[in-house]
Amino acid sequence: MTTATLTLDHGLRKGRRGTLGPSVFAFVLWACLALICAFLFFLLAVIVQKGIARFDLDLVTNQPSKIRPETAGVASALYGTLWVSALTAFIALPLGIAAAVYLEEYAQQNHWWNRMIELNIQNLAAVPTVIYGILVLAFVVRAPLSIGAVVLAGGIALALLILPVVIITTREALRAVPEEIRSGSLALGATLWQTTWRQVLPAAVPGIATGSILALSRAIGEAAPLILVGATTFVTFNPDGVLSRYTTLPVQIFNLVPQDRQEFRDLAYAAILLLILVLLAMNALAIWLRNRYQRRW
Amino acid sequence: MKEQTPVTRAEHTSVTPTDDKPTDEPAAAHVRLDAPSSTLRPVDGAPDGVIELRDLEVFYGDFRAVKDVTMGFGSKEITALIGPSGCGKSTVLRCLNRMNDLVPGARVQGRVAYHGVDIYEPEVDVIEVRRRIGMVFQKPNPFPKSIFDNVAYGPRVTGMKTDNMDEVVERALRGAALWDEVKDKLKQNAFGLSGGQQQRLCIARAIATSPEVILMDEPCSALDPIATAKIEDLMVELAATYTIIIVTHNMQQAARVSQRTGFFTAEADDMGHRTGRLVEFATTEHIFGNPTDSRTEAYITGRFG
Ligand SMILES: Nc1ncnc2c1ncn2[C@@H]1O[C@H](COP(=O)(O)OP(=O)(O)OP(=O)(O)O)[C@@H](O)[C@H]1O
Ligand SMILES: [Mg+2]
Repeated sequence: MTTATLTLDHGLRKGRRGTLGPSVFAFVLWACLALICAFLFFLLAVIVQKGIARFDLDLVTNQPSKIRPETAGVASALYGTLWVSALTAFIALPLGIAAAVYLEEYAQQNHWWNRMIELNIQNLAAVPTVIYGILVLAFVVRAPLSIGAVVLAGGIALALLILPVVIITTREALRAVPEEIRSGSLALGATLWQTTWRQVLPAAVPGIATGSILALSRAIGEAAPLILVGATTFVTFNPDGVLSRYTTLPVQIFNLVPQDRQEFRDLAYAAILLLILVLLAMNALAIWLRNRYQRRW
Repeated sequence: MKEQTPVTRAEHTSVTPTDDKPTDEPAAAHVRLDAPSSTLRPVDGAPDGVIELRDLEVFYGDFRAVKDVTMGFGSKEITALIGPSGCGKSTVLRCLNRMNDLVPGARVQGRVAYHGVDIYEPEVDVIEVRRRIGMVFQKPNPFPKSIFDNVAYGPRVTGMKTDNMDEVVERALRGAALWDEVKDKLKQNAFGLSGGQQQRLCIARAIATSPEVILMDEPCSALDPIATAKIEDLMVELAATYTIIIVTHNMQQAARVSQRTGFFTAEADDMGHRTGRLVEFATTEHIFGNPTDSRTEAYITGRFG
């Protein structure tokens, strides 16, 4: 018997499927990407160009001023942002991670109340952020808690805001831990708590950290709920505790932009640049964490 | 504690586990054996059954996965569970250390007695059950930790009193025939080991808590023949100290290592529900030499060709 030989004409020749469709599709995808990048680049360029003039040491060391905008800074807003975000993390992370651990590791998935909680968390993540502001204004800033427009109120508002995101990303990180790790641990006689604490959580830490940092960076950029809980006041001192009056960078920018003197607007651009740099640094940290500790199972 | 029930079935004569290859001279081998009266009953209950199953029935939700499983597992013996895919071997195995508790909707009926104590009684501490009845899984599943920490994990979480953890780890690794290969890299991550080494690490991890019984669910199915041979040798060695129950699809393996074999199958009933059941349980020589049930014979010969 002779071996059959093939020629290209036995259907192997390329081009039968047409080349136009795929290349048009690839071009459209590429064009979308280019448009997004161009837009982002344009935004950044404008901000850098207009903000660089006042992007100096005065910006972070001096307090806001109504009469001397050319040397005024946003020190109180920068410190306010640090205070509020630290407090947000302090409230939202333990609560969110604990809730996720309960839902993922402990809850019986087939009980209707657990499915209900799950559904509600998904919905909370989609609630407009001002709603959280109104909620905290109504119950925390005013009666019954009446703590006033202080750092704690801002922290609570932002913590509520990012809680659903923290829960959802933590659950995803927990779900990425293979089931075999859990059964291996339980089969050795470890309790569910030991298994969660010693195996599952450590394995999920990179994912949890990444998600939490991204959630926090979202909180830092948020102005709307803080305006409602009273961060708008003109503050010329750094906060000195959780019950101190405060302002934050986004709120400060919100106040500076409508001023009619050009110096105020330059200051606003510089503050925007500062805020963007803070957010970029946080996102870079999140990406680094993810790449550094990512596990292949 | 529950009352002690006699674990052994009526007068069964001592059956000495032999290490002959069962397929050799079968005729001579089982004239001595009691012929089973019913295919659903064990041919001969294990001599001093460590674990006894009586009318075990397992449900996943409404689905009955296995029923009518009555068998005993002899001390320091290797018992093999064989049968076609989906007949409930893993299900039965997971009942023995209550790993089925982790499956939502799983329900166990009948009796699983460990030294006469029904481990499904509400007063029974499941943690203690799992410490005494260890498990090795199909896919090697080391923890993402160092080799040392993998082995030390069991003793640590169960609060085992040890003066010297180094010693415990070394003993377990030696027991799993892994010590020489890893003694210089105990601090390295266990994921750096080969599949066969990982599986022996999992065995070391299981014996570190000094269990009495080790359950193995197709422990070699992810391994190459050389790694498999090593694990088989290890099993035979471990059987001097531990009671071993192994699920395997490899019949030569069952024939080589086990003293007793249970054959399961799942047959559809009138309603079309497939429920697994124990067809025949006897010494390995009997099952492989001269099985009583025609289904066992069909399965065995089908595979041996
Ligand atoms: N977690 C589960 N939920 C629902 N049904 C299950 C579950 N695990 C097993 N089953 C069902 O129970 C039956 C027995 O499954 P089991 O895994 O015990 O079989 P097996 O004999 O181990 O098969 P294999 O040889 O393929 O591993 C099968 O019909 C299977 O679909
Ligand atoms: Mg199985």
